[in-house]
Amino acid sequence: MVKIVKSTIMEAPVEAVWEVLRDFNGHDQWHPAVADSHIERGQPSDKVGCVRRFHLADGSELREQLLTMSDIDMAFSYCLLDTPIPLLNYVAHVRLIPVTDGDMTFWHWESRFDTPPGREAELQKQVGEEIYEGGFHAVRAFMGLAPASQGGA
Amino acid sequence: MPRVFVSTVIDAPPARVWERIRDFNALPRWHPRIRESRIENGEPSDKVGCVRDFTLQNGDRLREKLLGLSDYDMFCTYAILEGPMPLTDYVATLRLTPITDGDRTFAEWSAEFECADEVADDLVGGIGTNVFQGGFDALKRHFGG
Repeated sequence: MVKIVKSTIMEAPVEAVWEVLRDFNGHDQWHPAVADSHIERGQPSDKVGCVRRFHLADGSELREQLLTMSDIDMAFSYCLLDTPIPLLNYVAHVRLIPVTDGDMTFWHWESRFDTPPGREAELQKQVGEEIYEGGFHAVRAFMGLAPASQGGA
Repeated sequence: MPRVFVSTVIDAPPARVWERIRDFNALPRWHPRIRESRIENGEPSDKVGCVRDFTLQNGDRLREKLLGLSDYDMFCTYAILEGPMPLTDYVATLRLTPITDGDRTFAEWSAEFECADEVADDLVGGIGTNVFQGGFDALKRHFGG
């Protein structure tokens, strides 16, 4: 089983980052990998159990289900239901924690999944860099924040 | 139940920060408010259940018991057994998490306890500012953050 952990510091209050991330259907507005997205059966995007059906830029379709959503912890979890990319048993967790001395946000994004034999490293790199790190950059740009400071925080 | 939560970013890899704080008897080496410390009964300081008996710069004395220690998750949980503050059932956790974007450290220090309503705000403010933020400021100075 492959595990990915990526984390960053967003130079914005945690409430503002959570407002962007808690919309399970909002990723097509900020993530460059996501072309369009909708929630199946007209359900609200914060209904636990809802399914987002979305397309990547190359037209491939994915379905992901919201497993948990907590406003008090500022965290949610989701799994992949259908995907053309061979990520099996994929469950991901997103969590925000305030940085109290600076009014910033710690954003933690992790997942576990299986892959066909021999493709672990390739898929770990692809998801970690294109989806998670790409997502960090994209939300920064979406919120009008400065690029990540590499140290000197 | 009053709760204290303080967090910061330290500009050093988490393994190096953890090395500085994991020793339950090391407060005098990194926290400016602590003058001296010893572990009771000659036990090792990473034995879960051990008790540290330490003295602040102002002479106040506390005894705290190590409840949990994880090198894998980089956290330490402890309880106050005896101390000068008007509170009970005090349990605190100090935790480090890697910031993969830049090889830095996210540090959190939190506590919960019981006390009389009229002293809760002062205790939350004092612990958060003097103990937790004071410790983080010292770590940030040490690591040049």
